[in-house]
Amino acid sequence: MRADRMPGLGIVKGMVLTIRRAFDPKITVQYPEVRNAISPKHRGRLLLLYDEFGTLKCETCFQCAAACPIECIDMGGVDTKNRFHVHWGPAEQYAERREESALRRSGRPVPDRSFDPFEPIDLAPLDAILAEEGYSPRNTLRILERTQEAYGHLPVASLQHISHQTGAWYSELYGIATSYPQLRFEAPTGHTVAVCRCLTCTLLGGGRVLQAFEEHLGTKVGGVSPDGAVRLVQTDCHGESRETPRVVVDGEILPHFKLDDAAVISSALRAHVAQGRPA
Amino acid sequence: MQILKSQKGWPTILLARAGAYDADSAGAGLVAAEGGGAWIAWRRAMTSMTPEDLIGSVTDSGLRGRGGSGFPTGQKWRACRAATSAVHYAVANGFEADPGAQVDRTLMESDPHGVLEGLALAAFAIDATNAYIVVNVGYGTAIRRLRSAIDAAEAAGYLGGDVLGTGRELWVEVRELSGSFAVGEETILLRAIENKRAQPDQRPPWPSERGLWGQPTLVNNVETLAAVPWIVANGAAAYAKIGDADDPGTTLVQLSGAVAKPGIAEVPTGTPLRVLLDAVAGGVAGGKLKAIQVGGPSGGFLPPEALDTPLSHAALTAAGAIMGSGTILAVDGSSCIVDLATLMTRFLNDEACGKTIPCRIGTRRLAELGDGFCTGRSRPSDPDLIRALASDIRDAALCGLEATAINPLLSGMRYFPQEFEDHILRSTCPAGVCHPLRVAAAAAIQ
Repeated sequence: MRADRMPGLGIVKGMVLTIRRAFDPKITVQYPEVRNAISPKHRGRLLLLYDEFGTLKCETCFQCAAACPIECIDMGGVDTKNRFHVHWGPAEQYAERREESALRRSGRPVPDRSFDPFEPIDLAPLDAILAEEGYSPRNTLRILERTQEAYGHLPVASLQHISHQTGAWYSELYGIATSYPQLRFEAPTGHTVAVCRCLTCTLLGGGRVLQAFEEHLGTKVGGVSPDGAVRLVQTDCHGESRETPRVVVDGEILPHFKLDDAAVISSALRAHVAQGRPA
Repeated sequence: MQILKSQKGWPTILLARAGAYDADSAGAGLVAAEGGGAWIAWRRAMTSMTPEDLIGSVTDSGLRGRGGSGFPTGQKWRACRAATSAVHYAVANGFEADPGAQVDRTLMESDPHGVLEGLALAAFAIDATNAYIVVNVGYGTAIRRLRSAIDAAEAAGYLGGDVLGTGRELWVEVRELSGSFAVGEETILLRAIENKRAQPDQRPPWPSERGLWGQPTLVNNVETLAAVPWIVANGAAAYAKIGDADDPGTTLVQLSGAVAKPGIAEVPTGTPLRVLLDAVAGGVAGGKLKAIQVGGPSGGFLPPEALDTPLSHAALTAAGAIMGSGTILAVDGSSCIVDLATLMTRFLNDEACGKTIPCRIGTRRLAELGDGFCTGRSRPSDPDLIRALASDIRDAALCGLEATAINPLLSGMRYFPQEFEDHILRSTCPAGVCHPLRVAAAAAIQ
């Protein structure tokens, strides 16, 4: 019988290791009574864990992003309407997590929009803008505003290109683009309705006018109607309204606006765009 | 919006040169402005004053920030000067985020040289060589006039590489910014100049210690700065004698709403609101005065009984309103306070930048509770809930906008409890604006 086939040798070998380990110094640190010395620059290792289905376990709770002293953590994902590929926003926007979880429980494959290809754009105008602005993250606002002028809105591909060229974090660019109302991600609409929300206009019934437009256009202020025809924004009258709240349609101030006009204008604008569109 | 006539015996400091010169033409405008007394204080400061003298003089004058917070200006300047750094910045805030106000615009359009001179003095006080004037991108005329004023001042040697032959450097730049309501807040404004997210920073460190690009930065409203040349030219004691003892000087107010003559006026601080409405704005037009709203969207509603409140930071804050953007709005009997307060809270929630949860979600809950009053989905305990929530929001506030976002509903509940009770308990709206009838209808069906 060869020595490596001898019955019981494996057990003996194992026991030898066990006994040897029993006399080794203990490696468990009795945290928090005992603390290892850590360099003040140490930030730990950023690591996202996956569950057994291969999906990220991150709950997008933003706690790490909020705590990060050098702001290098930012949250990525898809917003509730599956439009944008990165977000950093209110904690209510967990929809993609909820949907994922429901899909997983029903045993269906979980799509990840983060890996969808972006709609390609012609980058030549953007490169020209970047060259003029010196590829500098200090001119981010200017770059974004000019990009929007050139493309009509901010396509995801353009943000990614700006990020590559300037070295600014994509998520930082996205954060800047979402925090300024003049920058938008939706393709431009044919018409824009603007309502003033200042106190004077509110006093003249601006609240109900805005409510009526929101109802008839099917969007909140700052959004686009579901058919993509009309954009509802807010404007400033600087306290100049006298009899009726300031309503601006496609850059023209409506002088004698009545509450009932909201429905008429909304449907007219939407019908106008619907007709103009190729079938 | 027109500039209203000042009352007899009231000093004009900020609008003294309004209409006295053509602000659009660079050279001729400067000559005419100099004739009106512009740049005299700057010349004096350059020839015979040290920065410490200037700060002492501003401190003695008792000037307070006119941007809404009412912080003593001299103290701010001293803190900024004391901050050790090779580079300091001075920033004039002319963004004027309140969609219903054009006080700062009127000032910048009518006397750009006054604003520039004030900014130059502020920059001199803190040894800054670069100064910015931040203007709302919608204010095309103001931007054009400020730029031509800067060109003229540089050509005349008031600004530029060698200021009045002293070898001192001072470059002023106009920054056009567009953005939301929140950008008017000072730390957000600095982030916007830096091309970063429009969100506030924690204070302290105050911008006077760590502001623009991490350097000590002085942020003052254009209205505050425009008062400084007068103080230098006429003396701090003369300024301290005007208006309220604790908050001296003059301030610009915008009178609008249900008044006979809406417009902008320069008034001494401490003037009772009654005088502003009756004498300056020509009284309440048509109908009875129901309330006055002071301070812009995040200001408060005051009852007609509070018309004797003087126009000063301390008195208005104690009454539940703020100086804010300086707008004073007369509300007549056809409006519902509950409705107005709710709409304002909703506006403030929509404009919240989203950085702190008490503001982002708290003000939304406030607006929802207010909506409940207006649509008949309220409970008698809701006012207590609002008070508790409001005190949490105020305590947790990161920026001034958040701390004052509770004002519309709180001041409404404080002065018009009857109206809130009618909505909650009796499902009626005295003004006939809201439809709080759903509760009654639902009860009838059951």
